Amino acid sequence: MAISFTINGARRSFNGDEEMPLLWHLREEAGLKGTKFGCGIGQCGACTVHLDGDAVRSCSVPMSSLDGASITTIEGLAEGDDLHPVQEAWIEEDVPQCGYCQAGQIMATVAFLKDTPNPTDDDINNGITNLCRCGTYYRIRKAIKRAAENMQTA
Amino acid sequence: MTNLSRRTFIKSGAGLASFAILVSANPRLARSNDTGHITDIGPCLRFSDDGSTVLCVPTPDMGQGIMTAAAQVIAEEMDIDLNAVSVEFMPFIGIIDDEGIARDKDLTQGAGGSHSMMDLWPALRKTAAYSRALLVEAAAQKWGIDASKLSTLDGHVIDAGGRKLAYKDLVATVDINLDQSAVTPKPIKDYKVIGKDARNVAALDIVTGKPVFSLDVDVPGTLHAVIRRCPHLIGKVKSYNEDEVASMEGVKAVVKMDQVLEEDGWRTIADGVAIIADTYWHARQAADALTIEWDGSAATEDDTNIILDKCEALTKTEKLKEVARNGNPEEAFNAAAKVIDVTYTHPSWAHACIEPHNCTAHVNGNSAEVWVGHQNTTRIANIVKRFADVDAANVNTHMYRMGTGFGRKYVQDFVAEAVMLSKKMQAPVKVTWSREDEIEQDYPNHMGAYRVKAAIDKDDNLSGWHIKTALDTGRDWVAKDFPTTAVANSLGEVVSVPNNISHGAWRGPSHNTGAWVVQSALSEAAYAAGKDPYDFLIALYGKSGTIQTPDWPNMDVNYDRHVALLEKVALASEYGKEMPDGWGQGIAVHHTFVSACAHVVDLEMIGDNDYRVHKVTSAIDCGLAVNPLGIRAQVESGIMDGLCAAKYGKLVFEAGVPITNNFDTYQKMRIDEAPPIVNIHIMDFGDTEPRGTGEVSLPPIIPALTNAIFAASGKRIRSLPISESLETA
Repeated sequence: MAISFTINGARRSFNGDEEMPLLWHLREEAGLKGTKFGCGIGQCGACTVHLDGDAVRSCSVPMSSLDGASITTIEGLAEGDDLHPVQEAWIEEDVPQCGYCQAGQIMATVAFLKDTPNPTDDDINNGITNLCRCGTYYRIRKAIKRAAENMQTA
Repeated sequence: MTNLSRRTFIKSGAGLASFAILVSANPRLARSNDTGHITDIGPCLRFSDDGSTVLCVPTPDMGQGIMTAAAQVIAEEMDIDLNAVSVEFMPFIGIIDDEGIARDKDLTQGAGGSHSMMDLWPALRKTAAYSRALLVEAAAQKWGIDASKLSTLDGHVIDAGGRKLAYKDLVATVDINLDQSAVTPKPIKDYKVIGKDARNVAALDIVTGKPVFSLDVDVPGTLHAVIRRCPHLIGKVKSYNEDEVASMEGVKAVVKMDQVLEEDGWRTIADGVAIIADTYWHARQAADALTIEWDGSAATEDDTNIILDKCEALTKTEKLKEVARNGNPEEAFNAAAKVIDVTYTHPSWAHACIEPHNCTAHVNGNSAEVWVGHQNTTRIANIVKRFADVDAANVNTHMYRMGTGFGRKYVQDFVAEAVMLSKKMQAPVKVTWSREDEIEQDYPNHMGAYRVKAAIDKDDNLSGWHIKTALDTGRDWVAKDFPTTAVANSLGEVVSVPNNISHGAWRGPSHNTGAWVVQSALSEAAYAAGKDPYDFLIALYGKSGTIQTPDWPNMDVNYDRHVALLEKVALASEYGKEMPDGWGQGIAVHHTFVSACAHVVDLEMIGDNDYRVHKVTSAIDCGLAVNPLGIRAQVESGIMDGLCAAKYGKLVFEAGVPITNNFDTYQKMRIDEAPPIVNIHIMDFGDTEPRGTGEVSLPPIIPALTNAIFAASGKRIRSLPISESLETA
């Protein structure tokens, strides 16, 4: 039986290998390349997407678990040309170096700020666990705070 | 320098107004090509179908920011608003030599050694300035007035009366012969873009998830390859269950991959088995279902602990190979009031490039197309020539951003695999590595032991320096460099301890750990002399002298720059201030290639066996600063990379097999361990040319860290990683 879910608001159904991780459906079947493959074991967070609003590591989410799910990827974050405040903050703080992990960092941050709209440094330390090999953490921290501020005054 | 054997505006077909300046007689540039716009792409500027302007930069970007900085140089010399253009990578624009080898011509197309900007600086400015001059001349002819009466602004040629012509409307109009030597780049005083902060030009694409990496490439008809490579450092396939996996869903072929070793034993292709399938997931599934019996008997002695023990033992032997000597070190040690004798060791580090290696290749008879993120554009054509027997001139390479590189993405292997498999399958083939592949098949940093003896004379000065290095590479730089060169009586000795590890360049090769050894030992010597390490370093670098680099004969690093860097970070960090118990500051300085950087680390011990870095204060000398915002990003990056490698970096080999192969066993730092405050000062010593940046901040951060741990806890870190050695230090 087909598994039905939505990705960025569009309905999709899936009939293939139910053990396949969501990551590969997004990248290879849905044509959404913004979600990245980094480690395959849920460690690095480059593949972070939202599943019913929560940040999950899509390399470790099997297709079998997705019936009725609502999935948002980095491609679904902006509204038309209007970037999400977190995306804006990432540009304003000039966070990306190579850029590979940043979609995952942004998705993790968007979910984090929903639960923790006014985060302390400790909140950030505990709530953001994605890996960045360029070491952009200093600017990520600033961007998270800037986004939080912008979202509160918006 | 630039050989402009042909120069003209070229009008292309299909309404694509393009502007080309040919920087060489390379036949590829003049040849029509049905798969790209090779004839239409000038080195620096291209107009797309929709009339938008595209700046083209020559050098690959792995996060070091050359795409942005090179675009700034072009924008400066051509008077283009960076915000009004997009930026992409140039295809290969070099030459094919008489032996059929692709080579760089004027514009370098490789990234490494922190010298992309140094390499590009003269030729790129000249090329861009010449491009601007041609556009001005075109407008002058169109208006029938003298070019000297015209100027340029934001992508337009303008005259005194206010008339404007957009660059894109000036192409394809006239044939111009303009003497290239009559054109000179702008003087520094006129810069409006160079020297100003510019954000990453790819940022919008990155934060919206655009497919800017080669892993994102989808070439129609592509077959997917997943390769099971021999996990042994040197080893071969004995047997595998081909029949079982060949019938699995989507599998097109099961291909034996044959090991390719270079003459020195360096591994270029690992022995293994490739699954070729219709989708990545099918290939992955079948590869996981492979049962392979390996023969790893050739490398069972390669074991991290055995190698390190052997290295350390060798530093205790009487005499190694002497590579440097000054004055009379024996006498200096005999006459010394105090001698310190300390040994440092460190294991190998993996690159752990965040984007696992991948490449898509389509070999079609005697031509080929390659889609890849790689540190050297020019090298791709030569890899295809070697592994698929295609003329280098017939290789069309599409360069993508790299999800980091650190030196690893300069290697041939992942490109060669895709090329060989595409030739075999006669179809486009995409090879995707797993994280485990990326770490197991790495070309890691060296490991080894360093024994340092320092003599302190009766006046508490450093009077002798004796360093013995035993490393698992042939590198002898640490024994020969500062302070061996600076101390009146010094001796450098080396021995190499060969093994089956294929080593590679890891951000700041040799410097990355050499600076830790030297700056730690100098700190130990300072305390032995009863001096603060800062005062000790100022005294040592205060003697006049230079660091000379043969590759860059005109770019010596004078010691007075080290002094200025140290003074800057000491002042800015309030070095020496009172701190609570369990807190400490550490200072270090180091030159990497022809640049230099100093740091002060402020940290707090967390119990006996952990610590947090609260602040890093840095000063960098990277010559003329093209993009200060990007330079600060690179300094921040090197700090993080160094802090992380020092604390956790340990690629463990057991019986010839790397057993730490993903982020669960090969640990990397997250935001909770990143310093929340990083204050960076970019020094201006009046250079009129850039030096390097990407690797420069990493080497000195490790000794600044371990010196701070000593100041805070009295524990001297003499072996890495710190996470393992702090407890027993």
